[in-house]
Amino acid sequence: MSDSRSSLSSRVPIIFKKELREIFRDKRTRMSVIVGPLIITPLMFAVIGKGVQGQMEQVNSEKTTVAVISSASTAGIETELKKTNQFVITKVQSEREVTQLIKDRKVSVGLKIDPEIETHDAMEQPIEITAIVDKGEQSSQIGMGKLFEYFQKEGADKAKRRLQLRGVNPEVITPYKMSEQSIPGGGGRAMLFLVQMLPYILIMASFSGAIYAAFDQVAGEKERGTLETLLVSPASRRDIVLGKFGAVVSVCIISSILSIIGLVIPFKSGLQAFDWIAKGGLTLDPMAMVVVVIVLVPLSVLFAGVLLTLSTFAKNQKEAQTYLGTLFPIVIMPAMFSMFMGAKVALTVALIPVLNASLIIKQALNGNYNWAFIGLAFVASVVYAGIALSFATRMFQNEKVLIKT
Amino acid sequence: MIEVENLSKTFEDKKRGKIEAVKSVSFSCYPGEIFGLLGPNGAGKTTTLRMLSTILTPTSGTARIAGYDIRTQAQEVRSHIGFLTGSASPYERLTAREMVAYFGALYGLSDSEIERRIQEVFTELDMHEFADQRCDKLSTGQKQRVSIARTILHQPPVLFFDEPTNGLDVITARTIIRFIRKCREQGKTVVFSTHIMSEVESICDRIAVIYKGEVAAIGTLEELRAKTGKQVFEEVFLKLVGEEDN
Repeated sequence: MSDSRSSLSSRVPIIFKKELREIFRDKRTRMSVIVGPLIITPLMFAVIGKGVQGQMEQVNSEKTTVAVISSASTAGIETELKKTNQFVITKVQSEREVTQLIKDRKVSVGLKIDPEIETHDAMEQPIEITAIVDKGEQSSQIGMGKLFEYFQKEGADKAKRRLQLRGVNPEVITPYKMSEQSIPGGGGRAMLFLVQMLPYILIMASFSGAIYAAFDQVAGEKERGTLETLLVSPASRRDIVLGKFGAVVSVCIISSILSIIGLVIPFKSGLQAFDWIAKGGLTLDPMAMVVVVIVLVPLSVLFAGVLLTLSTFAKNQKEAQTYLGTLFPIVIMPAMFSMFMGAKVALTVALIPVLNASLIIKQALNGNYNWAFIGLAFVASVVYAGIALSFATRMFQNEKVLIKT
Repeated sequence: MIEVENLSKTFEDKKRGKIEAVKSVSFSCYPGEIFGLLGPNGAGKTTTLRMLSTILTPTSGTARIAGYDIRTQAQEVRSHIGFLTGSASPYERLTAREMVAYFGALYGLSDSEIERRIQEVFTELDMHEFADQRCDKLSTGQKQRVSIARTILHQPPVLFFDEPTNGLDVITARTIIRFIRKCREQGKTVVFSTHIMSEVESICDRIAVIYKGEVAAIGTLEELRAKTGKQVFEEVFLKLVGEEDN
């Protein structure tokens, strides 16, 4: 028997290093933690962007098909619409016919025009025009927008001409002229997208990135019979659980960080494929990044604790996956919910796990730091993480669970 | 040396109620001896070995392994044993060298000592050829040699073998048996659990026949033959467990 034995406390880093090495040799983990965020996510943006751009170009270049409930008095408007070269007119006799054509996707929009056009025009009264649309159909909505734009411009021009005939300055009907100007260094379209999506993506990346690792750590070891070998080594169960726990937490954090990088690539790469999203620029405050990390660390510990507990409780990885089916919505719902919540929320929301982290990330990306909220959420997350860790450790001491066969 | 005193283990099962897996088992095992635990599947052999290796806590009774109590000095016990089971395979994503070095580190060996022992053990088990291959790429026999290397790297004075030849081909099983004999020659205390009669006949110095969680008899082959008046070991076993007529 050898006498040159190192101290007992050094076993946690030994287990941690070995677990991390094994985790990153697992193809599934490499796919979900590295390949997914760094390659698949940017690629997805490029593909979506190409699709969106293509669709926008098609919509803009395509003429809108309009069914007009035609009469002798509408002929003038029909001719004017045709002249714009933006609309293809189909003449119909009834509203029912219009509805059917829209349903059959033969036209995008229908137009019902006041039959007393000439009388109202002569009396300088508004001519009522109703656009008949299918609100669930994109081309119908776009077509309606084009028609609104056309009639607004035509109406404004006609009003100006009438005023000029009366010798009145046409600007009298435009008391306000409003335009927009972006602040230098402010967020563009990209920022808006990022603020909406990043909290959800980061939380999901942190959670899902560690699933395979956590399940492989205990349930996988039980399945392969290697856990018993580890349990008969001088490493205490506390050493084993802490080493494994540290490895899963690391994977959660690495997964989140790589997800941030994967999301930033489209904005910073300068590649044409990402033009659709990168226009308007992206400004990330370093403080926002610090806050994101502060929030993600305890959240990762919480996730690692929960996943490791599941993994310890399950007989094998398949059983662990079954338990995950119940757990997944509990994580996903608060993360999604944050997308629809405004900037101002009650302080007590900081106590709700996952949602608190999600909201802080969202606020930080907007440059909004509610330190009381961040502080309370951090303390709450640390407490929850501590509970999760203690639960996982206790579960690991339970021989009934550990030697479940 | 191993001294087992009235070791018992009861499991609680929701459906079946209390299950007495091991009932007041006592035996001793000495250095330079191969002590066999013979019994059918479910007899309590693995539960006994799991208690002796401190994976499970006994419901009552205790044991001393190399002078350490399994209840109060669990970590010391684990430092002084090697445990090889037929149901465990090495870590698939580690190489043979990494796997063995990992356990060397867990047993507290220094880096230089791990390196020295790896050289010795890999030579002894003829493992250099596949030392740096990942374990998932190894044959069953090679994997078993990795497990043996892991078990003996820290030179434990006490070794437990729980059905180590389970599912192995004849050639690999022979390697294991040869290795267990060598452990005896080196003066180690060896407990060998199996349900295979021929293995017991071939290598065990003394045998404890375990049946339904209890020790039915302990003795050398000759002693057990004399006790039952039977020569064929299968008949000896059946007589000892009271299943002679079946």
